[in-house]
Amino acid sequence: MENAAYVGLSRQMTLRRELDIVANNIANADTTGFKVEQLLLGEEVGERARNAFVRPGVSFVMDNGVGRDFGQGALEQTSRALDFAIEGEGAFFALKDGAGDAYTRDGAFTLDPEGRLTTQGGAAVQGDGGDIILDPALGQVAVAADGTISQNGQPVGRLSVVRFDTLAVLEKGGDGLYRNASNAAPVAANDVQVRQSMLEGSNVNPILEITNLIEIQRAYESVTRMIENTNDLSRRAVERLGRAA
Amino acid sequence: MRALRTAASGMAAQQLNVEVISNNIANMNTVGFKRQRAEFQDLLYQNVERMGAQSSSQGTVIPTGIQIGAGVKAGSVYRVTEQGTPTQTGNRYDVAIDGRGYFQILMPSGETAYTRAGNFSVNGEGQLVTDDGYAVQPNISIPQDAIDVSISKSGQVQVITQGETEPQIVGQIELASFFNEAGLEAIGDNLLLETAASGPANVGTPAEVGFGELLQGYTEASNVDAVAEISALIIAQRAYEMNSKVITTADQMLSVAGQVKS
Repeated sequence: MENAAYVGLSRQMTLRRELDIVANNIANADTTGFKVEQLLLGEEVGERARNAFVRPGVSFVMDNGVGRDFGQGALEQTSRALDFAIEGEGAFFALKDGAGDAYTRDGAFTLDPEGRLTTQGGAAVQGDGGDIILDPALGQVAVAADGTISQNGQPVGRLSVVRFDTLAVLEKGGDGLYRNASNAAPVAANDVQVRQSMLEGSNVNPILEITNLIEIQRAYESVTRMIENTNDLSRRAVERLGRAA
Repeated sequence: MRALRTAASGMAAQQLNVEVISNNIANMNTVGFKRQRAEFQDLLYQNVERMGAQSSSQGTVIPTGIQIGAGVKAGSVYRVTEQGTPTQTGNRYDVAIDGRGYFQILMPSGETAYTRAGNFSVNGEGQLVTDDGYAVQPNISIPQDAIDVSISKSGQVQVITQGETEPQIVGQIELASFFNEAGLEAIGDNLLLETAASGPANVGTPAEVGFGELLQGYTEASNVDAVAEISALIIAQRAYEMNSKVITTADQMLSVAGQVKS
């Protein structure tokens, strides 16, 4: 077979995967705390499919990984006392659920029947000393920029906001959660601020995503045409050579 | 092609969003109504190439891996229990709660329901009831010869009867509060029911610690902000359109793939 067809095929496969990722970005354009992703492509020098006398290099397209943009999403005022947003990049609320530790940027918290602060999915929000228990009867919940929770002027706990030395250790777990896929320990993030009654929107840029979408589609079409042309070329070659013999 | 289903999940989520927003707008003038908010979460991720896996025998490690998400889902639709504006009505049986707490209502089934809508009236027996005729708990009976009724901030109901100068106490309105108000189940008619998620009701006297004060002659307006709802509607519509664009693109790419000549 021709190298060109295989090179084209490698691009088509990555384009499809790119489309899947762009579709996920757009579907989550309105998801609290969602971080946009893109496919990282690399050049992969491959073995040639045929042994030619002249040896030009062949490189295939490989998807090497998914890059996440942990940039700040827009803050939206919600006027709900248990909505929190982190202002500052790369830091997360620490959570604990049935599957262990989790981290999130989605601060739409609620109380469970025992007064424990949890996510909408039921994961317990962690404070400096474990779970945070609030008694709504004690009065309005106020949260300071450093995460200190107070009711009636009395501090009752502190939201634990953490970061990782490298964000590459985080794995998305769905439900707005990230899980630590390594044994790197999180450290307290003291340089970010917690904002009460605010939620962080996704950092998806709709215009960019739609442009990506068009680009993917056109690239897919042109690669398809290239494969067709290569195919035509070899068919014609076979026809003509066959005639000469 | 995964993109088709991903975009479909996005369209379904935005549709739900529009449903929630339209219910908020429809109930803009409902007494004691609390607006709702749809909260979205990303769906599961498929690990195409696991991060931290080795990419060669020399021990090179893939730094980020490839995770492809499967779209979006509605995480929850919760009530925003923010105070609504007290609106003066002049009706002496209208009571608004300024602060935390719910009125307790006895349902015909014997269950206790909870409400923030304090537009009460008096039934044929002189009992304080809701618009639907369900009795406010604990029972409060207004004597027939009462010429004036006053409800204090702390919920004491006093009447002045014909020929009397001293007001007479006929009852005490009590409020219920919950750990997780957002966990109450709405059953329509402005009524809410206790659930396992809300926790048990904690009954107390108005104006005490943890309970709001009562305002006679007022009702609590809904906390729907029309401008915020309309802008949310616009955002939902645009998001819906973008997702449909993804479906179109995925469809066209599939058709291109289907037309490749062999």
